[in-house]
Amino acid sequence: MSDQTAQPATDELHYVQYEVEKEDVYLPAIRQLISKDLSEPYSIYVYRYFLYQWGDLCYMALDSSNNLIGVVVCKLETHRSGTFRGYIAMLAVQESHRGKGIATKLVCMAIDAMTARDADEVVLETEVTNTASLKLYERLGFLRSKRLHRYYLNGNTAFRLVLYLKPGTATKRPPEVGDFGQYAQYGDAEEELRSREGIQAQTRIT
Amino acid sequence: MTEPMPPGGSTSGKEGGALTQEQPGVSAASTTLPLRHSLRAAAIDPKLHDITEKFTEACNALKIGQLVKDEYFTLFESIGALEIMDTKMDSGFLQPGETLDEVYDTLAPLLPEEVIGIMDQLLCYEMAWHTGYPLSQTLLTSVYIDKLLWPEPRSVEQAQFYRGYVSEERRPGLLLRVLRAYCLALVKCVDSGIAVITNRDFFEEEDICTHTYNRVLFPQVGADVFVGELEDVIQNVQECAEEYITDDLKKAMLVRLEFRKNFLAALDLECPLDQLNKHWPLMQSNLVAINVTHQLGKPVEGSFSTKIQRRLASTVPPRPIVVLEFKDAFEKLKQLCADCEEATRFTSLPQNPLEYQSFMWAFASRSPPPLTYSRSYLSNLLFHPSSDLSILLQSDLGSLVFPASVVLDPSNWALSPPQNPNLPKDKRFQLAQLINDFTERAGHAYLEFWTALGQNRCRLRRMLCHAILGFDQVQNDAYTIDEGIMALTQEMGSAPENEIMPYPLTTWSYYRKLWMMEKVVFLGFEQDIYLPDEFAAQYHFLSTIASTRSRLLTNVSTHINAKYRRLFAAEGQTLRVATLVETANYVDSLLAESIGVHELSTALAKFWMVVLYLGLLGGKKLARPFSSPELRYELRMKPFWTLQPAEVPPFEEFRRDVWSYGPYDKLTPRFLEDLQNPQAELWMELDEAVKRAKEAWAQVKRFGAKSARAEGVEESWKREIQGVLASCVALGVAVAGIKGQAPKDLGEIRVEIPKVGSGKRYREGWVVGKVCRG
Ligand SMILES: CC(C)(COP(=O)(O)OP(=O)(O)OC[C@H]1O[C@@H](n2cnc3c(N)ncnc32)[C@H](O)[C@@H]1OP(=O)(O)O)[C@@H](O)C(=O)NCCC(=O)NCCS
Repeated sequence: MSDQTAQPATDELHYVQYEVEKEDVYLPAIRQLISKDLSEPYSIYVYRYFLYQWGDLCYMALDSSNNLIGVVVCKLETHRSGTFRGYIAMLAVQESHRGKGIATKLVCMAIDAMTARDADEVVLETEVTNTASLKLYERLGFLRSKRLHRYYLNGNTAFRLVLYLKPGTATKRPPEVGDFGQYAQYGDAEEELRSREGIQAQTRIT
Repeated sequence: MTEPMPPGGSTSGKEGGALTQEQPGVSAASTTLPLRHSLRAAAIDPKLHDITEKFTEACNALKIGQLVKDEYFTLFESIGALEIMDTKMDSGFLQPGETLDEVYDTLAPLLPEEVIGIMDQLLCYEMAWHTGYPLSQTLLTSVYIDKLLWPEPRSVEQAQFYRGYVSEERRPGLLLRVLRAYCLALVKCVDSGIAVITNRDFFEEEDICTHTYNRVLFPQVGADVFVGELEDVIQNVQECAEEYITDDLKKAMLVRLEFRKNFLAALDLECPLDQLNKHWPLMQSNLVAINVTHQLGKPVEGSFSTKIQRRLASTVPPRPIVVLEFKDAFEKLKQLCADCEEATRFTSLPQNPLEYQSFMWAFASRSPPPLTYSRSYLSNLLFHPSSDLSILLQSDLGSLVFPASVVLDPSNWALSPPQNPNLPKDKRFQLAQLINDFTERAGHAYLEFWTALGQNRCRLRRMLCHAILGFDQVQNDAYTIDEGIMALTQEMGSAPENEIMPYPLTTWSYYRKLWMMEKVVFLGFEQDIYLPDEFAAQYHFLSTIASTRSRLLTNVSTHINAKYRRLFAAEGQTLRVATLVETANYVDSLLAESIGVHELSTALAKFWMVVLYLGLLGGKKLARPFSSPELRYELRMKPFWTLQPAEVPPFEEFRRDVWSYGPYDKLTPRFLEDLQNPQAELWMELDEAVKRAKEAWAQVKRFGAKSARAEGVEESWKREIQGVLASCVALGVAVAGIKGQAPKDLGEIRVEIPKVGSGKRYREGWVVGKVCRG
């Protein structure tokens, strides 16, 4: 499906799936590319958290000399709302290569892979001012589901974007409701990739 | 993890080094690390095993990047992990030649202008904290404040810019004492702020950071102590000779001290309700004077340092000090004072939950949005210990479904059950029991509703979605209680006060639920949640909810009118008649408003439908390869999907209504024909809807703020109604720009969407397109 919409970007680019065995080759480049657009770096464990468990949902665009041009990092697991939920955690394309459909292609590959693995929905957050990212996802079918005040460490506000892949997703419920009572408070809480600072402050208070 | 721990690293890891080997005898109490307590007593001699070799060997069996974790290790925790020896993550990491501590002398004499400069710098950091930045990057970077708070003083007296003995000539002089009093009061202001904010669950961690990093901000010491400290130095400064401090500097210093004193008093959680409105206005004059004397001050950059963060209870390395310009900080402060002053008006509102609701809503709609502190301040007034939620709820019921009714007669609650359980209970007693039962069942959702009104706008929308589900349950529970009430009142005879409307509690819960649903859609427009090609659909949905609400209100109105006629005819019912008239006015106002919402949203739905068919918004069509209209419909309607009775129409019905001419990208002959014919049903209906909307809103305006139970916020209420009326007019103009045109003549026409917050929308939730040429 995705191949019809994302025209092949640059001829010499090739798109590959991440391989855990080649961490030493790929990970430093991925970290570098992602960190450029972050006010706070993620520790290596955050990357490993995703790549070790869902390496098959990470896709990379490489040029002919195997330089990393773009990357998408995701996870897919049962959310406490009961849905089998895909989450696009990180997406970046080298500045010099932007606007050529590379990110679109990467995201399409990730969504195709999640669809193949029976995902109900795909979600992500992005800054309300990130026009390129909003355009990209909304063109693929995502809708804004909520606005998250001061979601990022830099105080910026985010939109939660959601794409349903299957009918019946809205009414899915977790199997054992009792256990989740405390969390179910506001439907789906906004936990995913928030800042390190906020999280540490929290873990200390409790 | 093979990296060695850096010397002096405060990175202790999540488990607080529970595996430290070297000090077996040291008890948990002697260390500040959060050690896990052992279940068994530690009396048995511990046996130590060196596992280094085994561990290293075992590690070799792992591949690089292989994650060793149990199933409970979450993303949340992985984000909390740190990398030792990474400058951005390891708080103990020092650059070559970097010293761990600051070398600023807090006892060195200061110039008067430097004291003023530091006071203003502190004010900037204080406001930066109020806008959401952590104390560690704002106020706690002050070396002076650090000295006062660390090592932790045992008394206010001990909180000095030094500890222990200092020689006579090093003792702080007047200016340092002024600064100390100011700093102490400032610290107490933060403490009081945190107390108000954390008093109940009004705030969320995204709003403000209440973490104090193990610094204790005098929570046990009353504000009066700090006021006393300020008053002492104020007197000293006043008496100080001109040769030490010139007159203008003296004035500048005094006004800052005065301001701090007033601020401290205003923020004090213990402040009695009838004193609340005293302090905020006092600050207005202080503020003006602070602003004009700001340029007299001389900042002392060296008295703030990022390094202090290393000694705070945080695992994060020092992060940059947050810079908020004085101009911006001052604006925030002014806003805070104005918002809090406005909030104090809450205490003088007519005692009615609907007035409270109008006030809360108007407050949350203030622009710029009130800071967390101000919102919490207002919520604290709403949830003041003297206010009782169940009384609020019953008054709410009385205002809509039980006016002048026996059901809520206070004397019902004075009755007790019969001594002999075999005797029948008094009917009034039973009524009180039923209402108590309902109050209990509805209490949680009702509380959530009020809590939501005090949140930031984003969270308000999300919390309302949740409260709607709560009210759905309440409505369901109300049904049987209603039957009980209806049976009882019927048995009580045909006096007019015994007459109630059918299913009153169900009606009330349903009414509340529909009201919140409308707000959720409104806030969706206001928060830019909907994409342009959803506009027609969302306004259409809004119009269906509003029309259901209208029907419900019509039932209420019918009941009230009938009851009014009977009461009026009866003897000695003047009081009840008066109550009923009041309720009737309220219901009439609500009814007009619900019709206004229904008609205007109907008109907007049709308008946007035409615009979308004609593609007048420009831009590329969204291909949406992974989605379908059905799936997007399901996602968009998710908050309402499960409600009973069903509010979300089946997709086919929705498609018929919103895409009456087929998909947006195909122009059918029928559409083209209607488009060019001003007499077509499409245009007739649209014009009619705009006209009826105008009439309805004009009627709301005529009924006035008092009838709408918005007397306490009459000004903003009027502005709001005026804004809606202006939206109706603007829509009429926009429609005229398209109606009856042939598609070829529409070639140069574009429709612009006024941006959120640009000031070009008359009401943020009513998005009226602007038709432009060329
Ligand atoms: C977002 C990002 C990944 C997009 O990469 P990309 O390869 O340029 O994306 P694509 O070319 O596939 O598509 C981007 C779309 O946004 C548009 N776009 C790009 N920059 C834009 C801008 N500043 N304003 C408006 N639209 C913009 C492009 O024109 C394109 O839309 P179109 O095909 O309809 O013309 C890239 O900008 C990036 O790495 N940004 C920094 C990291 C980031 O923000 N990640 C997303 C966080 S969730």
